[in-house]
Amino acid sequence: MNRRTFIKNSSFAAGAVYTPSILRGLKPDEVILGHNNKRYKIDTQWSKINAAQYPVKDCHEMVQDKLGRIILLTNETKNNVIIYDKSGKLINTWGTEYPGAHGLTLFNENGDDILFICDNNRHQVIKTTIDGKVLLTLDYPKETGQYTKAEEYVPTETIIAPNGDIYVADGYGKDFIIQYDAKGNYIRHFGGRGDGDHFLLNAHGICIDNRDKNKPCLIATSRQQNAFKRYTMEGIYIDTIPLPGAWVCRPVIKGDYLYAAVLQTNVRQWDKSGYVIILDKNYKVVSNIGGNLPAYNNNVPEEMYQTIKIFQYPHDVCIDEEENLYIAQWNSGQVYPYKLMPV
Amino acid sequence: MKKIMALIFIFTVHYCFAQQQFQLAMPLMKYRSVFFADTASFTINFNQPGSAVHYTLNGEEPTETDLLYKTPVIITQRTIVKAKAFSNSFAASETVTAEFIKDGKKIRQVSFSKPDDAYATTNVSILNDNTGGNMNFKSGTWLGYKNDTVEINIELKKKENINSVLVNILQDENSWLFLPEQVLVYYYNDKQKAFLPAGKQFFFSESPAAKKSSAKEIILSQKIKTNTLKLIVLPLKKIPGWHPGKGNHAWLFIDEIKVY
Repeated sequence: MNRRTFIKNSSFAAGAVYTPSILRGLKPDEVILGHNNKRYKIDTQWSKINAAQYPVKDCHEMVQDKLGRIILLTNETKNNVIIYDKSGKLINTWGTEYPGAHGLTLFNENGDDILFICDNNRHQVIKTTIDGKVLLTLDYPKETGQYTKAEEYVPTETIIAPNGDIYVADGYGKDFIIQYDAKGNYIRHFGGRGDGDHFLLNAHGICIDNRDKNKPCLIATSRQQNAFKRYTMEGIYIDTIPLPGAWVCRPVIKGDYLYAAVLQTNVRQWDKSGYVIILDKNYKVVSNIGGNLPAYNNNVPEEMYQTIKIFQYPHDVCIDEEENLYIAQWNSGQVYPYKLMPV
Repeated sequence: MKKIMALIFIFTVHYCFAQQQFQLAMPLMKYRSVFFADTASFTINFNQPGSAVHYTLNGEEPTETDLLYKTPVIITQRTIVKAKAFSNSFAASETVTAEFIKDGKKIRQVSFSKPDDAYATTNVSILNDNTGGNMNFKSGTWLGYKNDTVEINIELKKKENINSVLVNILQDENSWLFLPEQVLVYYYNDKQKAFLPAGKQFFFSESPAAKKSSAKEIILSQKIKTNTLKLIVLPLKKIPGWHPGKGNHAWLFIDEIKVY
């Protein structure tokens, strides 16, 4: 009997073999996490880079470029951008000018990969080439008439429409979504705070859902309300996707699924109670990695919460072309991203 | 024999790596309030396949041989509930604790010093409404103070023999909420027409404490028959040196009073 078989027997043949609790349990790399057809093995040691040489503070967001590389954004100004290969080896780093580096979005502009960085401290959105050359800087949106100074504007996320329009989520400022054209000219704003379904509270993330090619829409995060909210591309409110208990970060769509890091469990705030959520095409929760799979009553999921302490404060999910997940975490002891492989 | 040796080896290897395994999160214990008149109840949510929640009602640390949680549990007397999740695949969770506290002597009303503006209330019976015991100081069930002296006057429905007074206090040191320095209990003496000392208790915050809703019962130095009691609560004036807020005035948060 090899070790793996033994562990499996002792763990799953409930009651068949009595094993003292100290001797039980699976190592992290033996555990299968998640639910339904979205189950994963985890590699917590994916990052192979030297922490002394290439430190991180908060690992805020990650994207994959057309070369297949995994790009991480951190607010550590020694190396704001860390570029990995998929095996976790370092390829390159750049960036020392982004003390509040928070949002990272990739856009293919006429064949070239372009990055958009939201900087909380600089109160700016910065468009760069893939190797860090600055192409455009968006300052606080005076044109909206909603802001009197830069400090009121704390952008957390961007998404770029196929026509080049830039949508910025002011998730730590006034919770507006501000729409610009590709050149950075103001078009409109929507969202913001207030009483009513179309308002947002902690508009932490935004994405475009183009799974229905005929009806693309925007999905914005309303994190403190534990929900996503859908808007037309012109900012007209469509509906709310309630996710009780889940402090969802930005929605990320890959294939038929929507993925998001859940920063924390609502009833266990600021207690390292995060997990990762996966919704299907109908916005139904199909898997929670480290959380409970909710039953649905009248199309609303029951309250969700962390069940396994895999993550502390997960902040973003990046999905590569093989459906592997990379999870970046905020305020989690300078931990580098974890990788999860589908099983 | 080979098999046994292999097993011993496996156990040893496994034991060495035991620290690395993932841990279950604490189960969610839900209840309306920890304070109650006749009965209270709690439910436990923890939907993780292959795991089970066990609990105790005697204050002891739960093990897998203790009660298995299945359906809502009814409480009829003062009880410390402790619950913990267990699984074969993961390390057991930390323990979640709640102390359910039953009514004592019948209270007519409890009046209190004006709380800090940020925690003002229109609920005049906030300290005797059997509502509270949650961990969120912004929940609206708590009175918050940052001054030097808090006075609480308790009027019972009738004269009773009093053994103790209970004050429920929120300890949340990350948010600068501490136990007070001292609670003094006085009773009204009809003959002398004055409040006389009936008991007191000192509290110490010399080392960090876990976040909790903390029921502090002050046993009176003598049995007293009265219907009027006064508490003087002295919030911690200087946060101790081990805390990032050292030297600042601490907050005091209270949400319920009981008399036994």
